[in-house]
Amino acid sequence: MRYWSILFAMAAVGAVGAFLYAYFSPDWWLPNPPGDFHHSVSRFGREIDKLFFIILAITGAVFVGTQVVLVWAMHRFADETDAQGHPVRKADYFHGSQRLEVIWTIIPAGILVFIALYQMGTWAEIKYRSAAPKVPPLAEVTARQFQWVIRYPGPDGKLNTVDDLVVVDDLHFTRDRMALIYLRSSDVLHSFFLPQLRVKQDAVPGLTIPVWFDADRAGDYELVCAELCGWGHYKMRGKVYVHETEEQLRQWIDEKLAEQNRSRLTMTTAPNGR
Amino acid sequence: MVSRFRPARRLGLIGLLFASAGCSDWLSYDPGSLRYIEAEAMTQELGPKPNLHGKPKLQAKVRETMARLYGPDPQLIRVPKGAPLMLGGRYLASHLRESEGQAGPDRRIYEGDNLQDPKLRPQLGGYSIYRRNCLHCHGVTGAGDGPTASFFFPRPRDFRRGIFKFTSTPTGARPHRDDLRRTIVKGLDGTSMPAFEPILSPSEIEQVVDYVIFLSLRGETELALIEEASISEEGDNEALGEDIVQEIVSGVFTRWKSAQAQVVNPSVARTPPTRESILRGRDLYLASDCKDCHGRLAKGDGASFVETKISNEIIFGGDPSKMGERVAALPEKVQALWKQKLDEWGNPLRPANLNRGKETTYKGGRRPIDIYWRIAKGINGAQMPGHYPSPFDDRKMWDIVNFVLALPYEPELLTEAPVAPTAGAPAVADARPR
Repeated sequence: MRYWSILFAMAAVGAVGAFLYAYFSPDWWLPNPPGDFHHSVSRFGREIDKLFFIILAITGAVFVGTQVVLVWAMHRFADETDAQGHPVRKADYFHGSQRLEVIWTIIPAGILVFIALYQMGTWAEIKYRSAAPKVPPLAEVTARQFQWVIRYPGPDGKLNTVDDLVVVDDLHFTRDRMALIYLRSSDVLHSFFLPQLRVKQDAVPGLTIPVWFDADRAGDYELVCAELCGWGHYKMRGKVYVHETEEQLRQWIDEKLAEQNRSRLTMTTAPNGR
Repeated sequence: MVSRFRPARRLGLIGLLFASAGCSDWLSYDPGSLRYIEAEAMTQELGPKPNLHGKPKLQAKVRETMARLYGPDPQLIRVPKGAPLMLGGRYLASHLRESEGQAGPDRRIYEGDNLQDPKLRPQLGGYSIYRRNCLHCHGVTGAGDGPTASFFFPRPRDFRRGIFKFTSTPTGARPHRDDLRRTIVKGLDGTSMPAFEPILSPSEIEQVVDYVIFLSLRGETELALIEEASISEEGDNEALGEDIVQEIVSGVFTRWKSAQAQVVNPSVARTPPTRESILRGRDLYLASDCKDCHGRLAKGDGASFVETKISNEIIFGGDPSKMGERVAALPEKVQALWKQKLDEWGNPLRPANLNRGKETTYKGGRRPIDIYWRIAKGINGAQMPGHYPSPFDDRKMWDIVNFVLALPYEPELLTEAPVAPTAGAPAVADARPR
């Protein structure tokens, strides 16, 4: 039955084809702005994508290599019978090959050690507290079922004072500036995930975790919860907006503060629910 | 981008269909059309409350009237003329069939997509958006009885009585449309009501506001019809005549319409939150009935309520459906107090903890005007009474609002307060209805 080898070959070609297609389709590719979907908007995003490509190249090469061997072996050694229905080849039994086993243990181990060492710098830069940028915090983000409560420092520039701005599901910062937030949870595990910025950090009850990120392009992005946190997990989304300038961010905070300090209605509301 | 995605998704689905041919029952599961759930008063004996227990003819009449007024099920919505909805209710559904000129109140018919000759509208419709996002808590009928509802404290709102907690209209009045919109857009902090601003578009939010109002109108009409019918004898053929039904429906609509013009706007501007104002507010807090429920330190542990610890054990201490058993195990005196302190819907209540530092949550919003509304006109359906114009006048209102907003950041306002209010503080009458 040589046809089996063709089926397996097609599956392998399809898998490689899917990756090739993905590279040219913004729907299949990594989450990036639609106009320029090969470009991650954040510095960490580009580093993480680079690591992703290295791993993809290694696994891709191994995948192609093993598939070629697999398909070739299936094709070459497919069962054959003679006119009487007896197999034409005799199956041999042999008890392993130490040399082969050592080779296929050492090579992957070497690759793993390489990846582990190669990614350390990026990991340290993104996660080590000592690498946190020495900037005043943009906000404190508290995850709760099922909202992101975001607290920005008010005019006094300090967090957790009476003039803070408290909004829900609305994260704003400025482009080309490292933004630092303090991440907390008020109930269960959540995960703060900015897909376009490749930032993901669990929010753990009882811990305050600093998270930092930047974006080199102003615009709208997404904040989602990436840790199943209850029935409303899928509703736990937020809007992310990256401003062009610090003034614009300040202006947005001032507008929101003015609304937060509203003590009377100014607009008149028409009757009849319209 | 999405449209390009679709063929691929469809192919994937077909693949899935083939792959799971063995478990096709699971794939072909169809819950059927959704049905409204009748008000308890329709068939159950509810003691002194009006009900139609044991009156099948009158029950049938109410059912028939409800189907004629609002449609037989959520898939076919009818809206009586003059309903306080956008364009008379055109945003409730995705399909529309006008039936102008017909006798009776059902001028227009709104529906899903299963009837002949409906016009497709350029919108999903409130029903569809509600079904996807709200139904699992608030239920098909808006009774706050969806499948996930039992897991929450506080429980999701039951819309059927038209009572909403966080409103800007006078005490007991129906909410303003803005109030419902604000709740949907921003969610309710400290509850399980999420903010829908990042999930729904502004137009979808308007449609869902309409549908919430529709369910309220429907529920209120149903209760009013039952009440009206309960006065009649079972054999009375003239019960619930056309005139009476019209009167009931227009009464329900008028309550909503009149509330739209009654938003409470503080008559004087906010007193700046100066030290003096905050201290005056503090003294008012200690001298008035606030501390009875919210507690001497405003921790939500006043003596008028069952102790926080006991309350937590009852509410959170096990299976929510067995709360009754836990209450029954309490000493008689505590039990009596517990039963006094339920809300309009029979659910447990807790006074807000106003002194939790930066974690302090204000369910109805943290703007001074939100706090003003809560204190001035109370919380509908809960036990927070209105305090304006008595015992708090315009100036006192702002003093107490300033105090409430400052307290979380200055707990020493209460911990270091003299036990008796400072001399010269105005004596305030106790306004709580006992």
